[in-house]
Amino acid sequence: MVDVYWFSEQPYGYVTEQDLEPYESGRMHFPNTNFDPEKAHVLYQNYHDQYAWADEVGFDGIMSNEHHSSYWCMKPSVNVDAAVIAKVTKKTKIAMLGNVIALNDPVKMAEEIAMLDCISGGRIVSGFVRGTAVETLHAGISPTENRERFEEAHDLILKCWTTPGPFRWEGRHFPHRMINPWVVPMQKPHPPIWFPGTGSPESVIWAAKHGYPYMNLGSLLDLTKQLKAIYHETAHEVGYEPGPQHFGYLMRCLVADTDEKAQEIGRTFLWTENHRNRGPIEFNDPPGYQSREAMRIKMSRPLIGTGTMGRRMTYQELQDAHNIIVGSPETVLRKLRYVREDLNPGYILIYGNEGNMRHEDVMRSIELFGTKVIPALKAD
Amino acid sequence: MTTTQHGNRSTVTVGTTEVELFSGGSGPALLFLHGAGGNAGWQPWHEALAKTYTVYVPSQPGFNGTERPDWVYTITDVAHFNRSLVQTLGLSQYILMGSSMGGWVAAEMAAMCHYDLRGLVLVDAAGIKPDKSEIAEIFMVSTQTRQKQRFYDPSQVPNLDQYTRTLTPEEQVIEHANREMASRLCWRPYLHNLSLPHYLGKVSTPTLIVWGRQDAIIPLECGELYQQALPHATLTVIEQCGHSPALEKPQEFVQVVTTFLAGLP
Repeated sequence: MVDVYWFSEQPYGYVTEQDLEPYESGRMHFPNTNFDPEKAHVLYQNYHDQYAWADEVGFDGIMSNEHHSSYWCMKPSVNVDAAVIAKVTKKTKIAMLGNVIALNDPVKMAEEIAMLDCISGGRIVSGFVRGTAVETLHAGISPTENRERFEEAHDLILKCWTTPGPFRWEGRHFPHRMINPWVVPMQKPHPPIWFPGTGSPESVIWAAKHGYPYMNLGSLLDLTKQLKAIYHETAHEVGYEPGPQHFGYLMRCLVADTDEKAQEIGRTFLWTENHRNRGPIEFNDPPGYQSREAMRIKMSRPLIGTGTMGRRMTYQELQDAHNIIVGSPETVLRKLRYVREDLNPGYILIYGNEGNMRHEDVMRSIELFGTKVIPALKAD
Repeated sequence: MTTTQHGNRSTVTVGTTEVELFSGGSGPALLFLHGAGGNAGWQPWHEALAKTYTVYVPSQPGFNGTERPDWVYTITDVAHFNRSLVQTLGLSQYILMGSSMGGWVAAEMAAMCHYDLRGLVLVDAAGIKPDKSEIAEIFMVSTQTRQKQRFYDPSQVPNLDQYTRTLTPEEQVIEHANREMASRLCWRPYLHNLSLPHYLGKVSTPTLIVWGRQDAIIPLECGELYQQALPHATLTVIEQCGHSPALEKPQEFVQVVTTFLAGLP
């Protein structure tokens, strides 16, 4: 059985290549004078309507995330978005992938996620992420601290959820002498924890060691299979047998009434692609952001380390690689079955819109997923 | 990297850490602390000072050939580490000198205890937050920007290719680790300690502050603030010079420093 999740990055689709070109980077340097709150208001409304529709037509879950200083993701707070999802949907799981816990007060994170779990009636899946390096830079925090702050925040959040308060926490980064959050999660002992990644084996190993499902965010299939193999190796070392429930895969995916129409709409998945993470290595992989161990692992596995980021592939090549899947319900179903056969994921995450795709087209895609694609996948 | 018979590399154990140390010369002790870019080893200007002084140039914890002890997170930690190094080397009434980040470490060490210092030399030193200007961003910038920040006029830098050539893979690993350590130490607050000027009022050590007038990383204003904070400090500005006077104007730099040192009681 596979669960299908809807995901939207909530792009600010008015930005063009021409807007971005003059700047040294697509994120930190691209000025926010290009952001119009009036337009954003309308976009948010559309994105929330898409959530409600995805819930209604039969998606199993909705995934959300957060990014900072990014024109392609208008969500600087996944918890705010999850609160919206909780109120505009009734049934779907809400997978937050996730909170950038290294950069926030973990006690407040624990409280907010617990609150969301109660509001949603226990529908929260709590992803924890290290974030891209830009998230850390934007938060004013040294990239060298991200990993140890992440580890400490993770441990403290779990303690908030599972240890009756008050208690004391004397960590290096988040010392608290009195912790007693009133609101605790509805799901016991706590909401499921997922861990996403794009290409770093270190992330996979961390997830596998903790037994947390690993969600690969759109790496190419070959790389994803290698990462999955690492998950399995690590799980065996730890002493358990992982199954599909430990593994999810995100694809850019759109359904339309005909292949021709889908091909046309789906082209927007390449919107400003070369600018999204454009910038010096000092932004995307500053010294100290990856541990020396992570770099050692990368060196020892020469095939690993190339996701889709920074790699120019054409629309057709990305489709051939099943990285972008667009088409009629029949075409999309056929391709999703191929991916499922190849990867056997327990979760298929649908990255379902991009750039300035028309709201109507996205709503129709959601509908076709719900009426045609998802039921057929479930019936297999 | 020039190594002479006087500039032998050795190691010295501080606590449980093996410290990489370049040293040479004879005479009164002079300890030099390198900047955030790392330890370039034994340099011609060290050699010039080594005619009169015993010069020690350690690699700071986490830089070059010295491992980072797991308790070292801040410049204060580094300053304490260096005070242990001073004790291990048996230095007393020594001259303490530091450039850029190393100048900040030196100032913190002097604030901790100045009674064992004969003289203090701060070169384009980090550590004090300027009021009217800003310390330039050195981490969240590209390599090209970093290279432009360094010198006022690259054409006047002797052996410029030594600083601009492509690094060997081994050197790249070291350079990456150095930048990681500098990020760890200097990120926030950014290359300064708001309390430092208040520490320095008690430091009666004769002090020379040397600054490149066109320092594009740490503005001259910081040199002026150091002068105001330290009771016995002289500020000497080197004209037509950027952040690294020892590299960009070596003769003038050595002249200024040796003149000051010769006048110490």
